Amino acid sequence: MNDPSLNELVSGESRSAPNDDIDLDRVWVNVAAEVWRRHPGRLEQAAARLLRSPGLARALFTTPALLLPWLTASAVVLAVGTLVQAGAGQPLVWLIAPAVAAVGIAYSYGPGLDPAWELSCSMAVSDRLVLLTRAVAVFAVNAMLGLIASAATLGTHASTPAAQLTFAWLLPMTAACALALAVAVTVRSAVAGAGAGAGAWLTLVLAHGATASAASSAGGWLSAAALTSAVTDANLYLPYLAVAACCAVIVLFATRPRRGLP
Amino acid sequence: MNIELTDVTRTFGRNKAVDGVSLAVGPGVFGLLGPNGAGKTSLLRMLATVLPPSSGTVRLLDRDPGKPAARTQIRRRLGYLPQHLGYYPSFTVAEFVEYFALLKEMPAHQVPKAVAAAVERVDLGPRARARLRTLSGGMLRRVGIAQAIVNGPDLLLLDEPTAGLDPEQRVAFRALIRDLGQHATVVVSTHLVEDVGTACSEVALMAEGKVVFRGTPGELAARGEGHESGDSALERGYGAVLAASRRQAPTGKTVQQ
Amino acid sequence: MDDDELIASLAGGDDMALRQLFDRHAPWLAARLRKALPPDDVEDVLQETFLAVWKNAGTYQPRGTLAAWLWVIARNQAAVLLRKRGPATQALPGEGGPVSDPAEAAAARTDLDVAAAAVLGPPGCPDREVWRLMYEEDRPVAEVAELMGVPEGTVKSRAHRARRLLRAALGGVQ
Repeated sequence: MNDPSLNELVSGESRSAPNDDIDLDRVWVNVAAEVWRRHPGRLEQAAARLLRSPGLARALFTTPALLLPWLTASAVVLAVGTLVQAGAGQPLVWLIAPAVAAVGIAYSYGPGLDPAWELSCSMAVSDRLVLLTRAVAVFAVNAMLGLIASAATLGTHASTPAAQLTFAWLLPMTAACALALAVAVTVRSAVAGAGAGAGAWLTLVLAHGATASAASSAGGWLSAAALTSAVTDANLYLPYLAVAACCAVIVLFATRPRRGLP
Repeated sequence: MNIELTDVTRTFGRNKAVDGVSLAVGPGVFGLLGPNGAGKTSLLRMLATVLPPSSGTVRLLDRDPGKPAARTQIRRRLGYLPQHLGYYPSFTVAEFVEYFALLKEMPAHQVPKAVAAAVERVDLGPRARARLRTLSGGMLRRVGIAQAIVNGPDLLLLDEPTAGLDPEQRVAFRALIRDLGQHATVVVSTHLVEDVGTACSEVALMAEGKVVFRGTPGELAARGEGHESGDSALERGYGAVLAASRRQAPTGKTVQQ
Repeated sequence: MDDDELIASLAGGDDMALRQLFDRHAPWLAARLRKALPPDDVEDVLQETFLAVWKNAGTYQPRGTLAAWLWVIARNQAAVLLRKRGPATQALPGEGGPVSDPAEAAAARTDLDVAAAAVLGPPGCPDREVWRLMYEEDRPVAEVAELMGVPEGTVKSRAHRARRLLRAALGGVQ
């Protein structure tokens, strides 16, 4: 603006409305729409196509337990478990994985977590569908992390068949996750859900380990075999499934569309 | 009629939050007035398809919200600002409004423009890319209004929308709802009569779960003649109708929602 | 903030600056464009102009004025729009390359006039008058000085400034 005549022209004309038939506000909205628009990543675009709903995909990609910091934390915890297991022979990965997943599930969705929960309940993309999608995704991601960690420790724990232990924790993981979700949804608190899921699993591991080592009277109760008994004991598989099923029913009931909570 | 309520009741335990309300509301701005605890929020939550009635029938946009498919259709055309709306602190204004535009199942290609228009409509353009954690209470309330109007709703439900707005913004807000009310049904729930009174084509006054008055703002003002408390004619009318309803039901308890 | 500061902060990622630039420059750009285009097209061209400003703020070099730069972008966007409409309007002037067709030359001339109007001010402004008398009517410096009642040196310096502004306006981009 170093030229006086230009200054005059520009400032003089901008004060008066240029043309009644041109809507500058509309032009600005169109410009702003481009400037402010968020460009979904490739994964989100793929999810939108797969789920046939951009809204559901967006909800999925804002899941706290699927955001990078959370995933990083989970991966670090499992990596440490893997290293300890490889070094000391303690079966940490199989014990940690269900707890990590349970905490993640509790922090997926729900009234205790979503500050705009009331509003979310009035959306065309139902809160129940969002919950289901997020829970499934978090479970899948955590199962994947656990599998990778398990695979990394193959051969370090010779006393049990590798294939059995690599997959056996998926069942208790399901139960712990279902419990965490059920508590989170009914108590309306993510912390409570995380505590219940992870706490129940760790309590079971220690209690069952103590019982198992007392029965076998071989070594201290912290022996690897005793600790993994919560994973390896086939008698527990049915109870795990039962807990998972019960909790699933509770979740479905607590999130039924016309629940009418105050 | 966009809203048709027939003898709608909602109870929480032994409390009757909404007690036998029948209402039919078409396009225009409808003011839902009454003191705190009168049942306004429960009524609005039923209109928002968040809360089912304990008894009675609700029809919204000529559909039954009790049926899942119809409910989804209603929700696409709904705008709702809850009384207490939490915000995602790490979202920007535009991201927050976009999030709910997508959850309302707006066609994805329309979303960016709708978001920009809604954000400008509530005069938050300069803060569109600011994180919500950096915004004042009044600005957050306007973000809430922006998400409610982003889909150009046929049914717009605003619960205490002016909370936190300064006087200038209240004037702008009244102009906004008057404008929206030309095509949509706008229900504004408030305990501040003067906030919406002049912008409404019709008002209903609730007390203890019941609708105790229904009419135009002018008719409400006329009721206040001779009533001493209140700064404006509307407030005097509001006070007079409330006082009359208390005399009629002296044993009634105030219902907490 | 002046224009150069605004464009610098826009280049730095602050889109608030774009809003201010829009408020400041969209009205006169609209008025100029409206002389040649119907309202819908003016809105389209304005939209594309400011989107281009947003995307290319980093390439702006404060040689001429920002207004001149904006006008060039707007003109180019108008050309893009007209080119999309069909072959009849394909040969738009001022896009570089030699001009041989007389019709095209005339069009280029008009284009120059429009640019002159944008950067030199409305008819009657000293710079614009010098431009008109010297380059459109092809009068010698002495005659222009006499007509305008100013010394020849002033005419020369005004002519120099007008050429510089127009050069910036027509070629100052990229």
